[in-house]
Amino acid sequence: MDRRKFLKNSALASSLFFVPNFVKAFESVATEHLGYKRLVIVQLAGGNDGLNTIIPHQNDLYYNARPKLAISKDIIKLTDDLGFHPSLQPLRALYDNGELSIINNVGYPNPVRSHFRSMDIWQTASGSDEYLQSGWLGRYLDQHGKQSYNAIEIDEQLSLAMKGEHFNGMATNDFRVLYKSAKDPYFKNVLSHYNDTHLSEHNLGYLYQTMIDAKSSANYIFENTDVKTSQESYPQNSFAKQLKNVAQFINSDLGTKVFYTSLGGFDTHANQNSKQTRLLSQYAESVSAFINDLKRNGTFEDTLILTFSEFGRRVKQNAANGTDHGSANNVFVIGKNLKKAGFYNSLASLSDLDNNGDLKYSIDFRSIYTTILSQWMNVSAEGIIPSRQNLLDFI
Amino acid sequence: MYWRAGFGIHPKSNVTLSKHRASVVEALFESSKAFTSLNIDLSYLDGIKPIDLKNFPELAREINQKGVKKILEFNVAWVKRLVNPSELLRERMTLFWANHFVCRERNPLYAEQYNNTLRYFALGDFRDFVKAISKEAAMLRYLNGKQNKKARPNENFARELMELFTLGEGQYSEKDIKECARAFTGYNHDFGGNFVHKENHHDNNSKLFFNHIGNYDGDDIIDIILENKQCAAYISDKIYRYFVNPKPNKKHINAMTEVFFKDYNIENLMRFVFLSDWFYDEVNMGSKIKSPIEYLVGLTNTVPVTFESERDLFKIQKILGQTLLDPPNVAGWKGDKAWIDANTIMIRLKLPSVILNNALIASGEHDEFKKKFMTKHKGRLPFKTTPDWTTFLENFEAVSTEELQDYIIQGAINKGTADYLQTLSKVSKREYCVQLMSLPEYQMC
Repeated sequence: MDRRKFLKNSALASSLFFVPNFVKAFESVATEHLGYKRLVIVQLAGGNDGLNTIIPHQNDLYYNARPKLAISKDIIKLTDDLGFHPSLQPLRALYDNGELSIINNVGYPNPVRSHFRSMDIWQTASGSDEYLQSGWLGRYLDQHGKQSYNAIEIDEQLSLAMKGEHFNGMATNDFRVLYKSAKDPYFKNVLSHYNDTHLSEHNLGYLYQTMIDAKSSANYIFENTDVKTSQESYPQNSFAKQLKNVAQFINSDLGTKVFYTSLGGFDTHANQNSKQTRLLSQYAESVSAFINDLKRNGTFEDTLILTFSEFGRRVKQNAANGTDHGSANNVFVIGKNLKKAGFYNSLASLSDLDNNGDLKYSIDFRSIYTTILSQWMNVSAEGIIPSRQNLLDFI
Repeated sequence: MYWRAGFGIHPKSNVTLSKHRASVVEALFESSKAFTSLNIDLSYLDGIKPIDLKNFPELAREINQKGVKKILEFNVAWVKRLVNPSELLRERMTLFWANHFVCRERNPLYAEQYNNTLRYFALGDFRDFVKAISKEAAMLRYLNGKQNKKARPNENFARELMELFTLGEGQYSEKDIKECARAFTGYNHDFGGNFVHKENHHDNNSKLFFNHIGNYDGDDIIDIILENKQCAAYISDKIYRYFVNPKPNKKHINAMTEVFFKDYNIENLMRFVFLSDWFYDEVNMGSKIKSPIEYLVGLTNTVPVTFESERDLFKIQKILGQTLLDPPNVAGWKGDKAWIDANTIMIRLKLPSVILNNALIASGEHDEFKKKFMTKHKGRLPFKTTPDWTTFLENFEAVSTEELQDYIIQGAINKGTADYLQTLSKVSKREYCVQLMSLPEYQMC
């Protein structure tokens, strides 16, 4: 019997496998990881149609405004007047367990209906009349981050939300590739000779800084991520893959506070129903697998998941069986021990619309950010969210 | 200038450099007078009618699948065109406009047509350009222009026309957008991609747009938009940040605006830029971070490379964050610093050695051992390539190894790095070239 086989078969091996976990847990306490709260952002890009996601199934105004688009079959009725799109079935259990809070009519004053600009507003936490160069999570990092791996986006590119004034999170689709490249001795030498501090404001200085940071973060992630922690079977799509990555990082206890994921394609100007059905299924199935994965690893309790889209869509459908850009929309918050689970507030009136025929907002998205920062991340929102906002009580 | 108007320079073209600036610039425009459209073989669509696709779903599926491959083929054809352009400046401008009039089209026929419209107008009349774009099948599909009908206006194109294509954010009211959308109602295209104006869907009532009242159509709206100097300023600003420096200079942009507003002639504007003294200011050299396409095309300009699988050209664009014909949204790629994050910087630094030297960058430490190892494991590299070092050596024959950096790196090299480069024994031009290309400095142009 060779050594490997011996280890595999012996009872000793199984107890050996437990040791590192135990030691790790011990270390965690020492490095103040106890009660480590993590935030996972899910961005539905393109403007998800909130009215066909959370459906006012008793409202004639809804059915009249959308003769060919309104959903009437297989609605998952949650309350007397609101229900899930049929594709959201996998989230039903979360709703029933009090692990999902749905906040209706979220938006901001003078809504902008351009994808780019509205996403910009959501990511920078600005008003519609101001332009910020940094994102809200980036500014959180400015104040509370030490390493770029403190905030990870599972993508090839980093969103503005994750870029601070002085400090950025990191984007990666495959942390192994990053690690292997960073190991090259030539780069090590170039970096060890880098000394031009006056370049730091310049584009070239930015390149050097990013490279130095990439190297140390790549090392850290590679050495600390145990991919075996996530055995949960996820659906086969790229969004699920993102969440699986996040679960591996969380379950490996990485020192990462913020994760950013994104699912695109919601810009349904034409033939909306088939597209949205497919996308919401991907969303719900992936999120459900993700939560089960976290629960199995005991990490769900310290994880909060926020899902948003840059805007909702017009109440009235258009001629192409789609919907045009709208304004206020619903936001999902998923977590354990929510203060107010289920529906946080009721849906805005479908008769009292704004001049464009869109829902009027009643909750400013920045008050959700502010609440998450102060009630979940335990930091002050000052310097992160530029405007003063009321605290909500969903967590 | 050859980095901004093209994709780098060969020492062989030194002859032209020594000439007077005006004649170099003139030669650049002269060589881009012609127009060579970019075409791939789309004969599989010959004789197919829309009714066939309805009647034979099997055929429709087959055509769809073929379309996906053809878009890929067009992407590679475009990259190859950029590497070997017949009209250098025209191609450079086409690339710029593709990230201005941003459009994503999966039908290869419409995508090819759109791309050639960009190429055709790249140095022409901006007014005609915008009007042509508004009538392109690809754009009518991308921003829902063809769904914009009198009974139910669709504002998507109207909004982006002003926000992204002509005036910039905040230069119009929501009311202007609604009225603008009404003017473009009835715009449509036929199966072959030709523009069709459907009178029965056009709103023939009077519109109130930017304080003008009239029964306007789309062309009238574009004329009214261009009356606003802000349009010339918006385009000048964008051209400045792309061709000169990502940090805008108000004075220079104002001067450009004056030139452009006169006749909206793109060639005249570009001539003004390339002839201005400030264009050649030290502060503008190596101030810009190369886009992935600039990086890739520039690299293969210095050392010609053959990719065993053309798909790899496509893969590289993807991992670097810029796949031609596949922009993230109608605002396009943000560019400059946004190209760089922890992931892309490492890939950019590693890629030259992977493509050109079996992933080896000489560092003086165990180089011989590494070389053997890397050669042995060549098969595991993500890309199979054949670099043409012979051509490189021919082109750089007159350049000494020490001088190589003047050609490969734009702008200054960080002092510590320069000192480190000094310590390396410059065994060969070839090895030094790879070392230079693996520096953060190589990312600048």
